[in-house]
This record gives sequence, structure tokens and C-alpha cells, in this order.
Amino acid sequence: MDIYLDHNATAPLDPRALAAMQPWLIGVHGNPTSVHRYGRAAHEALEAARAQVAALVHAQPAQLVFTGGGTEADNLALKGVCGGAPSGRVLVGAMEHSAVLGPAAALAKRGWEVEYLPADAAGCYDAATLGRQLAGGGVRLVSLMLANNETGAIQDVKALAALAHGAGALVHCDAVQAVGKLPVDFGALGVDLMTLSAHKLGGPRGVGALVMDRRVSLTPLVDGGGQEQGLRGGTENLAGIVGFGKAAELAQAELEDRMAHTRRLRDQLEAGLADVPGLKIFAAESERLSNTSQFALPGMDGEWLVMEMDKRGIAVSSGSACHSGSGEPSHVLLAMGQPPEIAKGALRVSFGAGNTESDARAAAQALKEIVATLGKRVAAVGW
Amino acid sequence: MAIYLDYAATTPMDPKVAERMATCLTLDGLFANPASAHAPGRQARAAVEQARSQVAALVNAKPQEIVFTSGATEADNLAIKGVAHFERARGKHIVTSRIEHKAVLDACKQLEREGFEVTWLKPDADGLIQPESVRAALRPDTVLVSIMQANNELGTVNDIAAIGRLLKGHGARFHVDAAQSAGKLPIDLARLDVGLMSFAAHKVYGPKGIGALYVRREPRVNLEPLIHGGGHEQGMRSGTLATHQIVGMGEAFRLALEHMPEEALRLTALRERLWQGLKRIEGVLLNGHPSQHLPGILNLSFPGVEGESLLYACDKLAVSSGSACNSASQEPSYVLRALGRDDQLAGASLRFSLGRYTTEAEVDEAVEIVTREYRRLAALAA
Amino acid sequence: MAADTTAYRDAVWEHFRAPRNIGAFPAGTSQVFEGHAGSPRAGREITLALRLTAEGRVAECRYRVYGCPATIALCSILSERLPGQGLEALAGFRGLALTEEFALPPAKRAAGLVLEDALKAALARYNMTSGLKTA
Repeated sequence: MDIYLDHNATAPLDPRALAAMQPWLIGVHGNPTSVHRYGRAAHEALEAARAQVAALVHAQPAQLVFTGGGTEADNLALKGVCGGAPSGRVLVGAMEHSAVLGPAAALAKRGWEVEYLPADAAGCYDAATLGRQLAGGGVRLVSLMLANNETGAIQDVKALAALAHGAGALVHCDAVQAVGKLPVDFGALGVDLMTLSAHKLGGPRGVGALVMDRRVSLTPLVDGGGQEQGLRGGTENLAGIVGFGKAAELAQAELEDRMAHTRRLRDQLEAGLADVPGLKIFAAESERLSNTSQFALPGMDGEWLVMEMDKRGIAVSSGSACHSGSGEPSHVLLAMGQPPEIAKGALRVSFGAGNTESDARAAAQALKEIVATLGKRVAAVGW
Repeated sequence: MAIYLDYAATTPMDPKVAERMATCLTLDGLFANPASAHAPGRQARAAVEQARSQVAALVNAKPQEIVFTSGATEADNLAIKGVAHFERARGKHIVTSRIEHKAVLDACKQLEREGFEVTWLKPDADGLIQPESVRAALRPDTVLVSIMQANNELGTVNDIAAIGRLLKGHGARFHVDAAQSAGKLPIDLARLDVGLMSFAAHKVYGPKGIGALYVRREPRVNLEPLIHGGGHEQGMRSGTLATHQIVGMGEAFRLALEHMPEEALRLTALRERLWQGLKRIEGVLLNGHPSQHLPGILNLSFPGVEGESLLYACDKLAVSSGSACNSASQEPSYVLRALGRDDQLAGASLRFSLGRYTTEAEVDEAVEIVTREYRRLAALAA
Repeated sequence: MAADTTAYRDAVWEHFRAPRNIGAFPAGTSQVFEGHAGSPRAGREITLALRLTAEGRVAECRYRVYGCPATIALCSILSERLPGQGLEALAGFRGLALTEEFALPPAKRAAGLVLEDALKAALARYNMTSGLKTA
């Protein structure tokens, strides 16, 4: 593989995070819950990482619960808040990641009234619409993402959360795609629960966190052992957590540079494609993550485009990795009111700090080639 | 440098495992999301599937019966809550024992709060769960039996083959926590009547934060997932797969299969050497079964001394203890209490667990330290 | 769980490793007053013996102890501090002051309290016998 432009699916581990993990991967080291010397050192490393991750989102270390990833943290938030008998409504955004839609559907099966907040054509949740849905009363939890993983559209979570709180609901925010790509302040957002994932910001996979207001009472998903203040049992993935901590520290220090760099590459790509007739860039009119561009080329199938780009050594995706290969149109684009035939044609390019201008140029070039040559044939056979 | 005799708590990673993991992390390796369609994604997926086969091979299961989780605790929770929630309509009774790992105990306690009834079996004086006691506890509405293969504190090994046989035809699912036993004892799931089995990588020289649940295909065991989302792991456990963790577990299980025969012999001999050395201490008691035990675990109670002092006096040894002052719960070991040991004996207990890197010299030094410190503390009180 | 030696201050740790003045006085030693407190069931047991001078000051202190490292260390520390002290000072001894001085965690307060009880029991024994003498 030559050029990797799928950082929203997963980002490669930052070598500096790997270096921080090394001592915890190799050699004798303890279980952080053991009280002997080895265990004590492990415990201190765990707490140092907790402080690093908390600092990235301006939260208190005690507000962090480490989990086995973003999906688990989303599940812990939704099922944890709605742990008891069904007693009300749950509002989730229609453009949410499957890690939120999945547990929401599970809650619906258990008897909760789950409703979906639609998006506007620009890929944003609308406060007035949320207000109308809240007016129905009895909403226990509202779950809305901070930045969309496909379009990159940034939501006004602060205003939406204030509305939800006004109606007596708790608010969960999936910030997996946003953290490390834009400044995030847990307190200022005003949400009660917020999900983070290490591997989207240069840390390892298999570790995430739920940031929470400790006044919220949660039913754990994974019981046993009493780790993470009883909210998440199991021996801690110490190397992973240490890598998360280091990646968070780096993301905080380098955030502005990374944003400026990826924005330059993204804008360069979009400018390079500007003369492709019929090009449709999604959520272009909204504030977007600096590294993300999702677009459709007329008459092209997104998954076919992914494979064509792959043949040219460029890794991109049609949308969420979790749905790749399903052949289903993106639920995000459908929620924005895009017709299925356009939604099926979507391609997502997501840049990272390691990409260069030549990567962006090569991607634009490859896409134009595909449109110019193969595209004609495909169009001719009536795709 | 302390002598590490706490392999049952966690093991250092085998350098070969670390090497394999390192190839899955950075830009020049298999770092991509295994769910992605592009070439790097497909390569990561192939590495995940190879690891799945390696895990399956250790216990003679089919690769598609292995579901990766964040560890044995999650695997236990998935098995227990998953079966209970799926089978809710069929019954609300669960059978388990009082000396299971906290992951099983706490998952069952949560189900009690949700309205399930749990029968908590007592072990016999040697720490074994007798198959007969499981049979006696069964009810028509029993949906799940969860019994560990090897106890983490005592090292005792239950006859899960016999328990599985007596459950045949009943309809209750049988879950076995094998976090301590996998890689230490031969396990043949093709021959065992076990529906679900939990594994941890970090007890077998693999990484922390990764485990697996075996879910039998024939007859099929159904589960309600704990974690919903993108439908990974056949819908049973959503979440982006951590390729490096999974590859590390695969390699660790491959090595365990390779080393098991000689390692079992070596650890049995080392444990015997430790026991022969320590049994000379007046009044020392063996906790657990004299012969039905894991190769590397020895648990002893020491009369007449206080547990925390014994542990601290032996601070050159990294061992576990039943002492109240050193457990998060501030209670003496519930396992030893269930065996009928009083607070003093439950507290003044040491669990020695030996492993791949334990040497004879370390065992001999441990005997010397424990003997000396025990006698010193006993003399303070005499 | 295994030992975390960082939970105790160095002085406590050092006294635990090498307790001073351990044992009992030979039978028949004069002016010895012994006090007993606690029980193995309760997790700690102390037998504290004071040998007094003719002027009623502590000449020497010995003890036997069963208990956690803090209990053992506090016995040893007290046994070094008592010699030379008068009985009034002994009566004012507060076990909790000692646990605070060494920054022991709240769970270890009982170690100071049992030690105080053992010392009080020894003083009571003295008061009883000297009371008998004056009578």
C-alpha cells in the first residue's frame, strides 16, 4: 500500500505512542490491581495516562472510565443510563455511528421508546427539530455525535445539549471522530457523558474511554473485579491505555498544526476535483473536520471506486468501515435527504498528519483518471 | 529484583508475542481497520483470522466459534448475561459456585438484581465443585450453569467433562471459565459438552486487554450481545478489532500449545519442590486438592501469624495473599472462607504461582525466605 | 494480592523488619507490670511488659505481638520511647497520636488503640499492686 487516506477508519499508531507502550508490553510487569511493587508501578502508569487523556478534553481524571474501545463506551453510556426497566424515551441522532445506533436498537427491543433526530441537508442536527421532539416529554437520554465520521460535519452539541438539559434529559456525545481533530472541552460542551477512542487519534486500537459527570448513575456492562471504580471490570489493558495517554498528549500539543496541515491537503484535493462535472461534496456548506472530505462522482458506485483506488495503491473508503462490503447506501447520507443512488456513490477521503501534498495530488489525479476512462464504460453499461 | 511468583495474576509477555504485535501497529505494518475494504484492511483481516485459528487450535474448537473480547472478564459477562438475557423466556435459574472468579460472581449478582435466581454451590473441603452438587441444584427452569475449570486462587481443577455430561439433555447451557486453565491443561472442546468457554491472553504470556469467548455452533448456543454496533464478530461483539492484540493472543496460544507438554512437567516438578520445602514449616496447611490441581499453583495457610505481616515480611517475593488489608474489598479471601478456613488462616495464606520463567534457584530462595520470615513472625507472638 | 511496601513510611517499615525489645522478662524479675489487649480473632494481640525503677519511671519495655506490620512497628517504636518516662506521662499516651505521627491509613487506627489498651492495662496492673501495697 502506498498512500493511506482512511484515517477516520483507523489511524496508524504514532511511533512515539508505541515507544511509550514498549515498557508495558515487554518484561515482567504487574496487574494494576495487584498491590505488590510491580502492581504499584502499573497503577501509577494507569493514572498518569488517565490524566493525559483527561487533559486533552479538559476533564478531571476521575471523570474517565477506560473501556475496550469507543463502541463499548457508547454501549456503556446508552445501556448504562437506561439500565433499569424501560421508563421513557431515548433520542438518538439519525447520523450516529453504529456504535450508538446498535445499542439504541437494543434498548428499543427492551421496550424503550427510541426516536431518531433527523439531519438537515447540510449534515447537521437542527435545534428547532430537537426542541419539537423534546417537547413530547419524558426523554431520559439524548445521544448526538460531535463530528460525523463520514461527512466530517461538526454539530453544535453545546446548544443541542442545553436544549436537552432544559427538558430534563441526560446528554451523551460520541466524540470519537472529533477528539484529536478539533479542540474539545468536556465541561464547556455541557454534556453528561462523552465517548473517546484511542485509535482515531494515533493511539492503539482496543482502548477507549467514557468521560462522565460522576453524578450520573450507570449500570456497568462488564462486572467483576471492581476496576474503574466498579464501572468496568477486567484487568486493564495497560500498554493500550499508556499508548492512549501518550497519543492524547501529542494530539493536544500538535492539534493546531495537524488541523492546518490536513485542511491544506483536504482543500487541495477538493480543488483538484473541482472541475469534475457533477461532483457533489457532502456537508460542504457546514463546518467540517479539517481532514475529511466525502463526495459522490456522478454515475459511480462508491464501493467500486474504493476498489479502483485500491488497485492504484490508494486506501480510501465509501463511508464507515463498519459497513464496508454491505452494499448498503450510507445511512448518514440518507438521513441528510440524499437519494439512495447518490448515497451509494459516496467516497470518503480522510487525511492524517503523515500525509503529504503529493498524496492529495495523487488521489485527485487517480480519481480523475477513473472518471475519464473506466467511468465512461461503466456509464455505458448502465450502472 | 523481586522474585515473581504471581503468574496466576498476570504473566510477562513472551518476546515472540511482542514481536508479532509490533508488526501490526505502525504505518509500515498491518495497522489498518480489518473491516475496511481496501488492501491494507484485507491484510489486517487475514492476520485476525489466522489468530482466530490459533486460539481455536489450542482448545480444538472451530475458528468461527471464537469471539474476541477485551478480556476474560468481558467474555464471562458476555456468556453469562448473554445466555440469561437470550433465554429469559425459558427460565430464570442459574447455577454457579461460590468460588468463581469475580467476573462470574459479579455478573451473576447483577442478574439476581434483574430478577434471576442463582444457586451458589459450595465447594468441598478440597475446593472442588462436585458434579453431584451441580446435578442436585438443577431445576427445569435452569438456563445456565457456570463452573470454572481451574480455580485461580487454589489451582484446583474441576471435572468439567463430568459436569458437561450430566447436563446433556437438560437444556441448560454450560459455561466454563478457562482463564486459568487454558494453555496449562489440554482442553478438547470437540469432546467436552461445554457450550461456552472464556479465555484470557495475559494469563498465557499474551497481552492484557484481549480475551475470547468460545461459543459452540453445534448445538448452537445463542447470546444477547453486551456490546451492539457494527456487527463485528458475527454480531456477538461489536467494536473495531484490535489487530495487534488479537495477533498477540493468537501467537501466545500457539506458543502455549507448543510448550504445554514440557512446561506442565517442569512446573509440576517446581511446584513439588516448593511444597516439599515449605511443608517442613510446622502446621502449614495446603489449600486445595492434593492431586487435582494445575501444574503451577500452590496455596498455603500459615498458622499463628498475621496475613499482612507475612506478606510484607516476604516482600522480596511477588506473590498473592488472602490477606484482607491487601484486597480491594478489605475482606479475607472469599475462596478460602468458602473452604471453611477461619479469618486468620484465610488471611495468612500465600498463593505461589509459577510460570515459564521460574527457576529452581528462585523456588529455593522462596522456600528460604518464607521459612525464615514465618519463624521470625511466629516468634514475635510466642 | 501481594505486598505494597510503599504504603508505610520508612520508619514503620524499618521497625517492622527489625523490631526492638521483643520478648518478655525472665520469670521473677521484680517491678514488672504486664498488660494485655486484643485477640488473634480481632486481628491483633499485644502483651506489653514494663519494668519500673524504684522511682516509678520506666526502666525497660518488652512485648509480644501478633498483628499487621503497623501493629508490630508501633510496639517497637513505643518500646524505645518509654524508658525514662514517668507514670503520669504514660497515662497520657494516646495511640491515635502515634498512628497520626506515622501517617498510617485510617484502617490502621486500631493498631494504635490496641497498643494504648495494652499500656493502660499494664498501668492498671501497677496501680492495683501499688494500691495493695499502700493498703
